[in-house]
Amino acid sequence: MEHFALWLAAFLTLGIISFLYKDNAWYKLTESIFIGLSAGYWMVSLFWDNFYGKFWVNKSESPYLYVGAVLGLLMLLRLVPRIGWISRWPLSFIVGATSGLWLINYFSSNIMKQIEATILPLFSAQFGSGFDAGAAAIIGNLVIVTGTFSGLVYFFFSKEHKGAFGRTAKLGIWIIMITFGASFGYTVMSRMSLFIGRIDFLLSDWLGMIL
Amino acid sequence: MSTRAKEILVIIMIVVFSLVFYFRKIAGGKEIIFSNLVAWVLIALLVLSLGLILILTIKGSLIGRRVVFIYVGIVLALPLFMPFTQKITISPEVRSLYEAVEKLPPGSKVLVSFDYDPPSAPELQPMGESFIRLCFQRDFKVIIMGLWPQGPQQANIAIDKILEDPEMQARNLRYGEDYVNLGYQAGNEFVIQRMGSSFKSMFPSDYRGIPYDSMPLVRNIRNFSNIDFSFNLSAGFPGSVEWVQIAVDRYGVELGLGNTAVQAPQMYTYLNSGQVVGLLGGMNGGAEFELLCDYKGKATKFMLSQSFSHMVIIAFIIIGNVAYFLGGRKSALKDK
Amino acid sequence: MKTIGLFRFLPALTSFSIAFFIIFSPALKAQAPDDSLSTTSPDALAVSIAPPTSLVVFDYKYDDGEALELTWVPSVDDLPVVGKVTGYELYRSDNGGEFYKITELIPGSNNFRDEDLSTGVNYVYYIVALSADARAASVKTEAIQTHREWLNFNLKYLFLIALIISASVIYFIETARRGKKLFVRKIAGLEAVDDAIGQATEMGRSILFIPGINDMDEVQTLAAITILGRVSRVVADYDTKIHMPVSRSLVMTAARETIKASYMAAGRPDAYSDDMVHYVTDEQFGYVAAVDAIMVREKPATIFLLGSFFAESLILAETGNSVGAIQIAGTARPAQLPFFIAACDFTLIGEELFAASAYLSGEPKQLGSLKGQDVGKALAMLVILIAVILATISEIRPLETVRYVLDFLIQVFTIKT
Repeated sequence: MEHFALWLAAFLTLGIISFLYKDNAWYKLTESIFIGLSAGYWMVSLFWDNFYGKFWVNKSESPYLYVGAVLGLLMLLRLVPRIGWISRWPLSFIVGATSGLWLINYFSSNIMKQIEATILPLFSAQFGSGFDAGAAAIIGNLVIVTGTFSGLVYFFFSKEHKGAFGRTAKLGIWIIMITFGASFGYTVMSRMSLFIGRIDFLLSDWLGMIL
Repeated sequence: MSTRAKEILVIIMIVVFSLVFYFRKIAGGKEIIFSNLVAWVLIALLVLSLGLILILTIKGSLIGRRVVFIYVGIVLALPLFMPFTQKITISPEVRSLYEAVEKLPPGSKVLVSFDYDPPSAPELQPMGESFIRLCFQRDFKVIIMGLWPQGPQQANIAIDKILEDPEMQARNLRYGEDYVNLGYQAGNEFVIQRMGSSFKSMFPSDYRGIPYDSMPLVRNIRNFSNIDFSFNLSAGFPGSVEWVQIAVDRYGVELGLGNTAVQAPQMYTYLNSGQVVGLLGGMNGGAEFELLCDYKGKATKFMLSQSFSHMVIIAFIIIGNVAYFLGGRKSALKDK
Repeated sequence: MKTIGLFRFLPALTSFSIAFFIIFSPALKAQAPDDSLSTTSPDALAVSIAPPTSLVVFDYKYDDGEALELTWVPSVDDLPVVGKVTGYELYRSDNGGEFYKITELIPGSNNFRDEDLSTGVNYVYYIVALSADARAASVKTEAIQTHREWLNFNLKYLFLIALIISASVIYFIETARRGKKLFVRKIAGLEAVDDAIGQATEMGRSILFIPGINDMDEVQTLAAITILGRVSRVVADYDTKIHMPVSRSLVMTAARETIKASYMAAGRPDAYSDDMVHYVTDEQFGYVAAVDAIMVREKPATIFLLGSFFAESLILAETGNSVGAIQIAGTARPAQLPFFIAACDFTLIGEELFAASAYLSGEPKQLGSLKGQDVGKALAMLVILIAVILATISEIRPLETVRYVLDFLIQVFTIKT
């Protein structure tokens, strides 16, 4: 059985990789198996984790769960075209609840905290240390402050990008692009890691050529 | 020979090759390591061929994308057979994570959230292994959970691997007392939110169905205020962003991150503002952490492949740009 | 239909009430069941280690009256590495009852927040330092009760700023509703939409629309669906083929409704078919495998990649690029933008996605939100500019007023947990 599992895994791995050569029957087979398997997995996982795990098991403990169950049922009314509009009610609830929760989280984490972190004395390593920063720290501070500021200018939609404002926006997009470049490098690393993972499986677990 | 015949030939070669090596493995064949000379010859051949491609490109004959794929495949695989090891320098964000963990006294309760699935395992699994290993070495209590359905399974794989080590076996680690795996809970960021008031409400039992209250390690853990340190291994949503925004910003948890390299750059914002104490970004981060922990895991093993592939990609970026500018800024590939 | 009016306000109402509760109700906590706590009697004092001192207990501010905060000075024998203290035990008595252990703490601890308490109960505490062979207890605290506060004033500035931005959003929405034209700067890439669809028509090939892999609760997906409304309208006019594989069932229904509405508006309801949008799988890479295959097999002339993307972004954009399609992408996920910029012809960066959605739909709600957010951004820019100048000045010359204003600004943006 173990031999079969190893060969099957290797067969499927090579099948997906074969797409790099061209679209072919092997890839199509692997793709279909993957899609079917994952759709089935998600359905089962959602059923057992949400419906069974969250609702069915705990329904006697918390009557509030019935509210969620009813909203869930309303969602299924979409299957009946005539009263399908009712399904918008639970949808409104999801959109409303999520945005309410995220409003505060985003506000505090991504706005308030980030503004606080951008308030820096330009020529000091930290508050109260006077004029002590080295060149690297000064450049670091300058990049953070000008980067944040000019980035905000770029994403300001109420004013045409002209004159000094336009030049600041241009600086902003340059800094954004440089950030993207660094980010791209990271992703190359990430993709290579995933590929190494598969090669390791093929050469080590399957063929035993390396440890 | 027709294309179809060539394709069939290649498939036959792959099948023969794999059968030979598979039976060699079953017969107890050992790993293959190149000698220094072979390794250097191969490296020289690679460099020369890349130089040749550059010359051909300057002369105006472009390569196809498959050539790039083949090169990347070769440079990822070859280093695994080479006798060299990669020199690793430790970056500040990895060191700060290690130091934050080192500062914790024995007995500290550490929450590790495995928020990824098998596709991201090559990057994150080594981090999970070395982090939990370090926790066990320092006598911390480890509480595992997952916001992704397959996360806790990845955690179990990591724990099994760690416990294979005789040094770890000697520690006599007991499930329920030294570590627990609370399993997966659906609900994404809302799970973290609820954990802020009660862990038990989100994890009434562990992944095997053992009730929360019957496990000595977690019995007295009510919420985040009873946790000394948190570590999140994340490959996307829900993951690090949610942990920072809810666990750190709302409940004051001390958090370290292990991220896929894809999303690591986004986390520097939180690192810079002090919202997270440290960050392991991609395989590189994993290898650096392994070095600090004095443990040679998969991340360290793969670093040479990683560096080789980066070199080749840099070479192709140069070749591509040469073709792009010489060719009047048109595509740098033949088969576009 | 009457109900429509009501549900239009439901999301706003829900989100408002939740936000309100998060800000203002410290009591938003689940009832955690009582833990089984061991009951032990107070310990006899041992002399070989020093006890913790200065144990102080006070009410935890801004909560539902269910927490007390304790601080103490650790035992003098509690030192890193060489210290004798192996930990602490904290004991509590409720309403003069017997003392029992409520928690164990690691060496070096000097504070604890005791939660899940009730109002109207008198609590007394003491703490014991432990070593391998001895115990040393602190003096007992005075009896204390918890207090309940209705509002969490730790978050007052957050509330104030959220209020300013929300108010400006509402103001601009109302302004737009009254028919006043709101200015939004031109967004590069938007003009390309019509051209791209035109080209697909000329070539007689299809258009592929990928709305990201998140569900309808993601605002980027909503923006993508709004833009889909515009795209499908042009598609219906030109009689081009549109194909939209999705990874979420809710997105599928929303997209079908949107495209259907566009075909109706174009006066060609018969040309619409439900098959234009179909569900593939929730699994990220399963979805990618399917979409890649569709790209390679159908060779669409134009591909829209708008919405929330993760690791699949580069794979999709690269495959789309390799089949020679014109690609228009947009996402607010910073980590994925580089790939779209590298592999696509036009990219809507971050908020430009929402701006494009507002711009194309011309909907007062979206336009108003965009303008309201601009107020927030202007505020942020102003604060950063002023605060950085003040911070730099205060380091050069410590002036009291400068320091005072600076401290105030920092305090405004510091969130206490």
